[in-house]
Amino acid sequence: MDGIFLQQLINGLTLGSVYGLIAIGYTMVYGIIGMINFAHGEVYMISAYLAAISLALLAYFGIESFPLLILGTLVFTVVVTGIYGWVIERVAYKPLRNSTRLAPLISAIGISLILQNYAQISQGAKQQGVPTLLAGALKVDIGTGFVQLTYTKIFILIAAFAGMAVLTYIIKYTKLGRMCRATQQDRKMASILGINTDRVISYVFIIGAAMAALAGVLITMNYGTFDFYAGFVIGIKAFTAAVLGGIGSLPGAMLGGIILGISESLFSGLINSDYKDVFSFSLLVLILIFRPQGLLGRPLVAKV
Amino acid sequence: MSQTFYKKGFLALAVSAALGVSAFAQADIKFGVAGPMTGANASFGEQYMRGAQAAADEINAKGGVNGEKIVLVKGDDACEPKQAVAVANRMVDQDKVAGVVGHFCSSSTIPASEVYSDAGVIAITPGSTNPAVTERGLSAMFRMCGRDDQQGIVAGDYIVDVLKGKKVAVLHDKDTYGQGLADATKAQLTKRGVTPVLYEGLTRGEKDFSAVVTKIRAAGADIVYFGGLHPEAGPLVRQLREQGLKDVKFMSDDGIVTDELVTTAGGPQYVDGVYMTFGADPRMLPESKAVVEQFRKSGYEPEGYTLYAYASVQTLAAGFTGAKSTKGEDAAKWLKANAVKTVMGEKTWDAKGDLKVSDYVVYQWDKDGKYHQLEKQK
Amino acid sequence: MSAAKKPIDIKKSVIDAILAGLISLIVFGPIVGVVLDGYGFDLQPARVGWLVAIVMIGRFAMSLFMQTPKGLKVLHGFESTGSGVHVLAPDYKSRLRWIIPALIVIAIVFPFFANKYILTVVILGLIYVLLGLGLNIVVGLAGLLDLGYVAFYAIGAYGLALGYQYLGLGFWTVLPLSALAAGLAGCLLGFPVLRMHGDYLAIVTLGFGEIIRLILNNWLSFTGGPNGMPVPSPTFFGLEFGRRAKEGGVPFHEFFGLEYNPNIKFLFIYIVLFLVVLLVLYIKHRLTRMPVGRAWEALREDEIACRSMGLNHVLVKLSAFTIGASTAGLAGVFFASYQGFVNPSSFTFFESALILAIVVLGGMGSTVGVVIAAFVLTVAPELLRAFSEYRVLLFGVLMVVMMIWRPRGLIRISRTGVTPRKGVAP
Repeated sequence: MDGIFLQQLINGLTLGSVYGLIAIGYTMVYGIIGMINFAHGEVYMISAYLAAISLALLAYFGIESFPLLILGTLVFTVVVTGIYGWVIERVAYKPLRNSTRLAPLISAIGISLILQNYAQISQGAKQQGVPTLLAGALKVDIGTGFVQLTYTKIFILIAAFAGMAVLTYIIKYTKLGRMCRATQQDRKMASILGINTDRVISYVFIIGAAMAALAGVLITMNYGTFDFYAGFVIGIKAFTAAVLGGIGSLPGAMLGGIILGISESLFSGLINSDYKDVFSFSLLVLILIFRPQGLLGRPLVAKV
Repeated sequence: MSQTFYKKGFLALAVSAALGVSAFAQADIKFGVAGPMTGANASFGEQYMRGAQAAADEINAKGGVNGEKIVLVKGDDACEPKQAVAVANRMVDQDKVAGVVGHFCSSSTIPASEVYSDAGVIAITPGSTNPAVTERGLSAMFRMCGRDDQQGIVAGDYIVDVLKGKKVAVLHDKDTYGQGLADATKAQLTKRGVTPVLYEGLTRGEKDFSAVVTKIRAAGADIVYFGGLHPEAGPLVRQLREQGLKDVKFMSDDGIVTDELVTTAGGPQYVDGVYMTFGADPRMLPESKAVVEQFRKSGYEPEGYTLYAYASVQTLAAGFTGAKSTKGEDAAKWLKANAVKTVMGEKTWDAKGDLKVSDYVVYQWDKDGKYHQLEKQK
Repeated sequence: MSAAKKPIDIKKSVIDAILAGLISLIVFGPIVGVVLDGYGFDLQPARVGWLVAIVMIGRFAMSLFMQTPKGLKVLHGFESTGSGVHVLAPDYKSRLRWIIPALIVIAIVFPFFANKYILTVVILGLIYVLLGLGLNIVVGLAGLLDLGYVAFYAIGAYGLALGYQYLGLGFWTVLPLSALAAGLAGCLLGFPVLRMHGDYLAIVTLGFGEIIRLILNNWLSFTGGPNGMPVPSPTFFGLEFGRRAKEGGVPFHEFFGLEYNPNIKFLFIYIVLFLVVLLVLYIKHRLTRMPVGRAWEALREDEIACRSMGLNHVLVKLSAFTIGASTAGLAGVFFASYQGFVNPSSFTFFESALILAIVVLGGMGSTVGVVIAAFVLTVAPELLRAFSEYRVLLFGVLMVVMMIWRPRGLIRISRTGVTPRKGVAP
């Protein structure tokens, strides 16, 4: 295979795995309460700030080894972002649980405005960044060229798939996961069976935020820069990925993310990067026309 | 209940505004200062305000314009065209300004200037470099800075003459400013016999440019020119280096003239050697020495567009004083015929309202994350 | 409910407040307290202290309030669900029935008092009224969640700019043409997405909106790309409103021997826009009482039932999409001539979200609510200018609070009840 083509494939894979991580937050929340959480992209943005703050604090206390730095940052960011997810659900969505379908959507748009401006006012309207943590790259020579893989990218791929594996395990085999799935299938029935669905919904928001936080740390490490507006573009992309894969389905979110990432990367590599977003949205529309439930989503059967 | 509340509020708004406005009587001469006072570009708005205020204070201390004191009116457009029109209307109609210093983003300046032109108000922009600002035949629209096409010529010539570029990749951020600049550079390169091997747009707000970087690698470019701002330029240059393109030269524009470039690129090691075009630093001029010192004494570094705004207010004042009138059109006519001594040196304008002499030069970043002017190559 | 008799438990409120304080410390602590500066940081603990204190006091007060009978009633309100329309008594006379005539009178009288700035703010408000009314048909009545509504708005605005540039068309020609073009686009988009359910529809329309914006942005040679395009001023029987007429014509003010006044152009836009809004209001009022309007609402409530009753759902949905889109096209033309310039940055997703917020805040399906919400959401940012950097933050807070306070919108959609006429068999 051509070195350039392989490089584009890898570019797309890293981008896509990151989309997938954020898409999980959309897909889980949608699966359980049928709501598009528009503020999710902003939760990711907050987590990027938290990651940078944590790195700065750890560096201030003289911690320099990479494993310690990354572990400390991950724990701090995931925990605090999880609490953000919980608070947002509690303040803006829970009072609207029983109202129309669109009320929480508007509330979410309000929350995303609030979070953007909250970050901008408290941290300033400037570009933020983190220093390069993991410099260097792996250069793989293949017949017709070479592929350059930075260590950060390798780390992202490993961490993203590890995160997915852990989440899949939780959803499939733990009591919490069973509760989540039960609530997703039938909220009323689940509560009759003694599941505190309100609490389960809170857990889902926390899990979604935690996955966004994982993505936040990884993206911040890889690109080294972000600002208060960073959640918007990536949020829309991740939402697209979630719908592409079939909203409500966890493997679908990951698959949708990777397909989106690779198609963007290949389209801009082979054709033109100006129209890559047009291409990804057209792809989405086409897939939805022929498979209205998304790639891995369950078809919606309407019962009378 | 709530409905009556809103209704009352609306009524009160309409009535109070209608009454409040007509009650004023102007004794001073009012200049509007319009720019992004909030939002992502708020730091430029602050530079505008600081520079303009200092200039107004100084002129007022010397007796003002035709004996009238300058009063500044602040207008926030947040770099959105829609808000720019609203602000322009408010300044023209409610504040009755005689002249305007603004705006910053070209996409705001263009629609706002139509409002000023309709009202016969003179406007001078310290920072909008898009050619269309003065290309639409408006009689009282001036510019304190250069134009993108002038900047593009400087960049294109430098790439051909000094960097000896053979395979040039031209990128832009699909925005008024960045794309205009990239187009100008591309045109100059083509004129000099170098056809870019790649010409593409990035999306503002994204950080992953690895696909484009791989494409640059595939095209075998030896120079990358980027028209855009530092939030995209930083990650772009970093990803170039990370994909092993260590020897590819990187050149950009005055949109990256900020220390934040180092932060966005992930450290000074990545910006080392980056070239950029920018107006000759006005802080280095002999004319600005006293003013710069005064700024520094008050604890403010007059960077970026501060002195441009200062000079803009001086220009407006000179126009009104010279024309001995308070009409914007008279001042505009006078400015096109006479030279003005500003803090940035003596300036003259052509019939469109552009500066007759532009002063773009090339700077380079070093490994400590600082930039300095390169010797003029002739 | 016996809970009303319960005494107020202060201890519970204190615990609530302390818990809220702890959580807000974790939430606000890092981001408000540690300000990044390059790769280092500055500590600002005082700001965190203030925020935590405000949260604690607020939580304490809320906790106390929620234990009072009034608070319990508010709490109880969240539990109830209400759907469908609210049916009023047959002889019910709304206390707000004077609001529409009153608004019309205000609208006619007001230009005599307003200056240009107020006039332009109101024009913007009316444009959003138009947009809100259009989207209200799609979302509020037909129940189709459209997140790319701004695309049709863009089609209208660019229709004027492009029509002038390439075909030399003016305001009056483009006004109906844009409505047609946008309606056609709505119809074209409607076809493939009809199979989709609620939220898939949302993302496809969002994608459509983005595609339109990206094409406008990228197709430099045709649309001017990010540089945008100039838009001609509207004309009055061929008379221009400029200071000087562009192609040797006679400007409006010279023709009538008036002194030049730049307000005339906006006054003219205002009058035409106001008439169009009245017309659209009337059409919408009639439509909701016609079979097609009833069909929209029926489809919103239960699609399967409608289809089994023999309702042609394709036609019904398409008509909603088309009418909604053509209203946006009209709004786009007014927006373009108001601004005198169009560029793609006016048609971002945020704009779609804002219009949706107008519809939802106003009360889905309610006309008066939409009119009020449109003005609140366009005038509020102007009023909030005094808060400068907190402006958008407060705007977001306003959206959340309004939603929690009135989840069904400001005005609930309601219908006058029917009594069987005398002499008619039941």
